[in-house]
Amino acid sequence: MLPADCSRRLVAELQGALDACAHRQLQLEQSLRVCRRLLQAWEPTGTWACEPPPEPETNEEDPLPACTPSPQDLKELEFLTQALEKAVRVRRGITKAGERNKAPSLKSRSIVTSPGTTASTRPQSPGQAGGHASDRRPTKGLRQTTVPAKGRPERRLPSVRDRTRAGIGARAPRPGAGLRNQHMAPSAAPQAPEAFTLKEKGHLLRLPAAFRKAASQNSSLWAQLSSMQTSDSMDAAAAKTQFLRNIQTASGGSQPRLSAAEVEAEARRLRKACSLLRLRVREELSAAPMDWMQEYRCLLTLEGLQTMVGQCLQRLQELRAAVVERPPLPCPVGRPPRASPSCGGGAEPTWSPQLLVYSSTQELQTLAALKLRVAVLDQQIHLQKVLMAELLPLVSAAQPEGPSWLTLCRAAHSLLCEGGARVLTILRDEPVD
Amino acid sequence: MRRRRVDPAAGARAGALPEAIAALSRSLPSGPSPEIFRRAKFDRPEATSALWQLLFRVLSPLPAGNALASIALEVQARLVKSALCSQGYPRLALAQLPEDGSKGSRELLLALSWLLARGPVLEQMLAQTRVPLGDEMTVCQCEALASLGPPAPHMEAEGPVDVRHMQWLMGKLLFRWRQLVSSQQEQCALLSKIHLYTRGCHSDQNLGHLSVTEAEMLRDPEGGQKVSGAGAAQNLDLAYPKGLHFSCTPGMGPRTFWNDLWLVPRLLPGDWAAPLDPGGASACSLLSPLRVLLRTLEHESRRLEAVLAWRRSEPVFWQWMDTVLGTCAPEAPAAASQPTFLPWVPECGDGELELVVRELQTLEEELREAVERRRVAWEAKARGCGRGPEWSAARRASRETVEKELGALQRCWEQDSGPAPAHGPHRLVRREDGAAGDRDLRAAELIRTLRSQEACLEAVLRQLQGQCRQELAGLTGALPGLIWIPPPGR
Repeated sequence: MLPADCSRRLVAELQGALDACAHRQLQLEQSLRVCRRLLQAWEPTGTWACEPPPEPETNEEDPLPACTPSPQDLKELEFLTQALEKAVRVRRGITKAGERNKAPSLKSRSIVTSPGTTASTRPQSPGQAGGHASDRRPTKGLRQTTVPAKGRPERRLPSVRDRTRAGIGARAPRPGAGLRNQHMAPSAAPQAPEAFTLKEKGHLLRLPAAFRKAASQNSSLWAQLSSMQTSDSMDAAAAKTQFLRNIQTASGGSQPRLSAAEVEAEARRLRKACSLLRLRVREELSAAPMDWMQEYRCLLTLEGLQTMVGQCLQRLQELRAAVVERPPLPCPVGRPPRASPSCGGGAEPTWSPQLLVYSSTQELQTLAALKLRVAVLDQQIHLQKVLMAELLPLVSAAQPEGPSWLTLCRAAHSLLCEGGARVLTILRDEPVD
Repeated sequence: MRRRRVDPAAGARAGALPEAIAALSRSLPSGPSPEIFRRAKFDRPEATSALWQLLFRVLSPLPAGNALASIALEVQARLVKSALCSQGYPRLALAQLPEDGSKGSRELLLALSWLLARGPVLEQMLAQTRVPLGDEMTVCQCEALASLGPPAPHMEAEGPVDVRHMQWLMGKLLFRWRQLVSSQQEQCALLSKIHLYTRGCHSDQNLGHLSVTEAEMLRDPEGGQKVSGAGAAQNLDLAYPKGLHFSCTPGMGPRTFWNDLWLVPRLLPGDWAAPLDPGGASACSLLSPLRVLLRTLEHESRRLEAVLAWRRSEPVFWQWMDTVLGTCAPEAPAAASQPTFLPWVPECGDGELELVVRELQTLEEELREAVERRRVAWEAKARGCGRGPEWSAARRASRETVEKELGALQRCWEQDSGPAPAHGPHRLVRREDGAAGDRDLRAAELIRTLRSQEACLEAVLRQLQGQCRQELAGLTGALPGLIWIPPPGR
């Protein structure tokens, strides 16, 4: 049995590692759910199927509590009208192509939905490129084709159509947040609904216009901002440095104090130094010199390494002296992330959007796998150091009698030397008396 | 301290200063009005609490939320002081300010300007609250598998624990690692497929295909179909505190897009009065998540414009700040080495440094012994070899080679490794030819860097394990009557 405080520390560390993995696993699974759902056939949203096609007046009969201000209503009405206008246009186009009558009715039902409209209407599955509808082969259904199969009431449609014609007012059509018109496959038998899959029709998707506009404005502003940063005006930069200098001198200190970030960066560098030095020392100590020249060089290297280790130690002691740890304030904001030791450097968090380009599934998988591997190795090395610090003293201090000591040795060997993956066997071989 | 001579041209640009301050105020989240800045110059007390709160927002490492807003002013002030201290803020007057917000607005204004001068604070804050539209992947390793803060209080071990329990926990961990690997491989495959199937869709030619979040938006614009209940609730807890950017978004993969959107409006100051119910379609709001998204984008664009305006009119502001500084009394020179307080960087504390110090000390010991031994042996040998001129030339040559090698070794850690991989998430984009602009990262290069990191870490791990093996062998091997059979090799 391990002593209590040692147990507590070890269990806490291992449990922490387990929790971190569980958390990451959870994130992955959530994301997997979303991705899988996207790759399957897209279903109509549940509520949609039962919704009657909205008429402009239905807004008031909205089952949802009417806490909408009426300007909201007007906005939604506009969307609706616009969508209906599109319906008319498309329907005319379709009729010209001599499609069957079924199409218009289905279409009008589909068109009334635009995402901007209220919750009473549920928009449909992603539209296809509406404008080129007539060019495309009568497309297989989107989920609207399944709708007729559900036996939608047809009687309301003529009224909607009428209203469409009537309701096209003088409102200037706004580029709505509308999905493009879905095209009904008139010939595609509603009897055999073809579901929408990303694989077959993914390239036909179009983002809503309003979103496109907003996103492009957004990205161009970001681009402007990043280009402005790189070509920072001389005035501004000079003014800033001058101000900083002024503040420094006004406070009487000639040397700027070390910030926490700098201390951390220095500590990180020294950690890296430590591991590099250790590796090198091992190499030199295990190398067998052939002749006196090599021996001499080996000796010189070791002496040089010794000096460097001494310098690093001194620097570390200086750092420690400079850091006075106050009792940590109860920090309600949570902790900032702990930089992992292999994280490249104290780079400023970049704020400008950047892309990461990959060219094949394989590459992406390799990249992700390597990232995970490095993180796991980090975790493993940290655990190794903690285990070494706790277990080795125990093994050396324990009395080598009794089975419990053997258990401890076996466990220590497994944890420390095999990463917990394998266990050695101890064979009791009493000498024959 | 000499006052700066007021630039005569500044008079001509008199209008520029109010503009600059207005732009600054617009670009700060829930920014104080320009009046506050003006009052602060004259050290008016009514400007103080607004500035404390602003500094708190700026310095807080996590994106704001309702939780932060409810912290008392005194606590905020104290945290601001320690954060500034840990960043190396030189003015002592700030540390001596009362924390109740009764005075000190000029000092706070100076502190704010100091922060603004040191780094791109506004841009960083904007990046913090960006809603990622793409599939984001971080390049650096921060938070890759970091622990979630203080250990959960479910620690069973209150007493002594059998060491075999540790072995069991370790085995569990090994299994979880394997599980992570396979889940991640699957996720990459699916993500890649989605990118492949939607190529040619995106309006932005640079991107070329939809991301999962965008595809999800098209599939389910109303957000009516959410991820199953439990998942949704958890996503809210984990997704946002993990930050968007400042604290490096973990890994890759889209969070459930719509659940995040319910949270975003909490960041929008003022104009978003209705608290949205994250659990489901809110009864009070009839706006679809798409509309919410559009509003967020618009809001962000307004702030971006404000930051651009600020950048253009910056020089005027700095001149003004110099005058503000001029009105302060000069401080007495501080004691040479003020201790640096690190309350907001608890992890960098003594724990890590301790381990390193101990390692270096062991190393030093080892080296001392080895060097002594070898030096003695060498001197004995060298005495016998004579002292011809080739001898000393050879020795000099060896010395130089060794110096060069060691210098290279030292440079390995003194210089930062090349172009440091940027923190923060990057949007994943699939391109068959792998062409990338100069600001973009290529997967192939990252793979190379990661491979070398991996090799380095594996070497360290192997070496540590070898060390343990030696020590344990030393401790256990001497006992009679026991045979130690190592496990079958890998």
